[in-house]
Amino acid sequence: MLEIKGLGVKVGGEEVLQDVNLEVGTGEVHVLLGPNGVGKTTLLMTIMGMPGYEVTKGDIIFQGESILPLSVEERAKKGIGMAFQKMPTIPGVKLRTLGELIVNESSDFLKEVAEKLNCNYLLDRSVGLGFSGGEAKRAELFQLFLQRPLLSLIDEPESGVDLDNINLIGKALSELLEREQVRTKKRSGLIITHTGYILEYLNADMGHVLMEGRIVCRGNPRDLFTDIKEKGYQECLRCER
Amino acid sequence: MKVKEDYLREIKERAEKALNKKAPLGPDIDLNEFYLCSPQEKVNSVENISASLREAALYAGVELGEDKSSATYLQVNRSAVYEKIQDAFQGKLEIMAVSEALEKYPELWEYWWGLVPVDADKYTAFSELCPAEGYFIRVFAHQKIEVPLQACLLLSEESRIQNVHNLVILEEGAEANLITGCASVRGNENGIHIGVSEFYLGDNSRLTFTMVHNWGENFHVRPRTVVKMGNNSFYSNTYVLLKPLSSLQTFPQAIMEGENADANFQSIVFAKGNSYIDVGSSLLLKGKGCRGNSVSRVCAADNSQVYARGRLISYNDEAQAHLECKGILFSKGAEIISIPELEVYGAPRSRLSHEAAVGPIEEEAVNYLRSRGLSREESLSLITRGFLNIDIPGIPDVLRRYVDEVIRLTSRDIM
Repeated sequence: MLEIKGLGVKVGGEEVLQDVNLEVGTGEVHVLLGPNGVGKTTLLMTIMGMPGYEVTKGDIIFQGESILPLSVEERAKKGIGMAFQKMPTIPGVKLRTLGELIVNESSDFLKEVAEKLNCNYLLDRSVGLGFSGGEAKRAELFQLFLQRPLLSLIDEPESGVDLDNINLIGKALSELLEREQVRTKKRSGLIITHTGYILEYLNADMGHVLMEGRIVCRGNPRDLFTDIKEKGYQECLRCER
Repeated sequence: MKVKEDYLREIKERAEKALNKKAPLGPDIDLNEFYLCSPQEKVNSVENISASLREAALYAGVELGEDKSSATYLQVNRSAVYEKIQDAFQGKLEIMAVSEALEKYPELWEYWWGLVPVDADKYTAFSELCPAEGYFIRVFAHQKIEVPLQACLLLSEESRIQNVHNLVILEEGAEANLITGCASVRGNENGIHIGVSEFYLGDNSRLTFTMVHNWGENFHVRPRTVVKMGNNSFYSNTYVLLKPLSSLQTFPQAIMEGENADANFQSIVFAKGNSYIDVGSSLLLKGKGCRGNSVSRVCAADNSQVYARGRLISYNDEAQAHLECKGILFSKGAEIISIPELEVYGAPRSRLSHEAAVGPIEEEAVNYLRSRGLSREESLSLITRGFLNIDIPGIPDVLRRYVDEVIRLTSRDIM
């Protein structure tokens, strides 16, 4: 599904990623770990094609083709979607209007998804305006659900969210990424997490630790998380398994 | 006590003296470059209104149809061509040409130039001295008219002056929603529209007034509006201009004499081309407990220039009002100048405030929408429409939907 080869990225003229190599297979969910400021969000933003993230070397292959020449919207149309860590405020643009534009109509599907993510009462509010942490995360997932992307890039779905909302978000992500399906998984995910709570719901296939601009470690996400909790991220640099 | 003949003579004399008086704001227009409008014949049914006039009305937000409003007034050039009150509203309100009303009700002379000074500038003076027409609307005491009234003022002749003088009276406890659309007919790109409007709101009355303008690119527009408000009265004024024109200058004023009067002005402007636009509103807070808002949302593109003004003047300790100006600049050649004025006279406990923000469209929001699959143009258009969609206090849902629809329709080619 996704193959990142020797990727280097600059943001505002500064090199953030130097040599990232990462593969996410069809139907797989991977988590991306790493201390603050190492470039996890930069990696997701670069895959999404957001302006301001300059690829200096390497390639990003999605479904067998390089997506580097594609704009953000072209990547979205190819099946890449992102739930952002921080939702912008767009005064006057209702979440419902945006949802209708994503699905191209006012459909029952939109209502079902809003119900599932407890977003009904947010539909007639301006996108992001006065949303709490949990509301913003649910509204992000609402849009991602409507997009139904083949590859979901999810940036810290549990940050700033209370336990009730983590449960709702975790279950929704599991459904979005078809984790309950055994043989017919088509959708993949790459998720940034700091707390690991979300692993309880996702049964992720692989974890990657990003440090010093590259992936320094990979393995079973739960094992990785346990080790990091015990020994800290510096151990990842030293060990490099 | 005023004597009618003396009063009207004095009005005329003041107008004659002011005929060359430049307005303090806006570019000065030489009225000699324009001709007077021609009179038009009346029609007795909306079916007899030509397709081009109907189209012009529609682009100014007025759909001419028997069932679309409680009452309708259509003026073309300098004549009232159609007036109608739906059966269900007979006896509750009046709508007619102002010239007819002044003949029918001689006592109305006391309201004529009762609020807008006839010698304010050359435009008001011209309005008095040359043939004018406009609508007269009266809503009788305690009548609550939820279905909007429509007034439409169209100019079909090239290089003319449309000279309009409107009079609206809401008697005590009356309520109404008035939509006014002013436009030039397609292909008529050159002219000037002078619109004097005097609104009298009785105690406990409530008026929402929504005005949409849609003029040709070389038009000059000079509305002159003053509203006098009684005790516990409510007034909401929403002005929408989304198409380019040569120049517009308007600074409507609410004189809030009654206690607890509540006035809200909203200006929604998208300036394009070489438009020179000077808009705003002024609240004169005189009565105890008066309150209000003056809000503007301005987008300026190409080489347009927009002045967004607001003036709050308090004479009463318990008055409270807020000014808000937000603007988006779309090009290097565009200008937005926000001019807030807060004035307090002998009322140290007044609360007046203002906030202003002018800047570019947020790229973060554009890119966010693009990540949902929208093109850059679609994203810019959506954000702009959202920005212009002010949450207007106190207006009924039908009018809120109407304003949304006007913005949606007229902003389809906004970029």
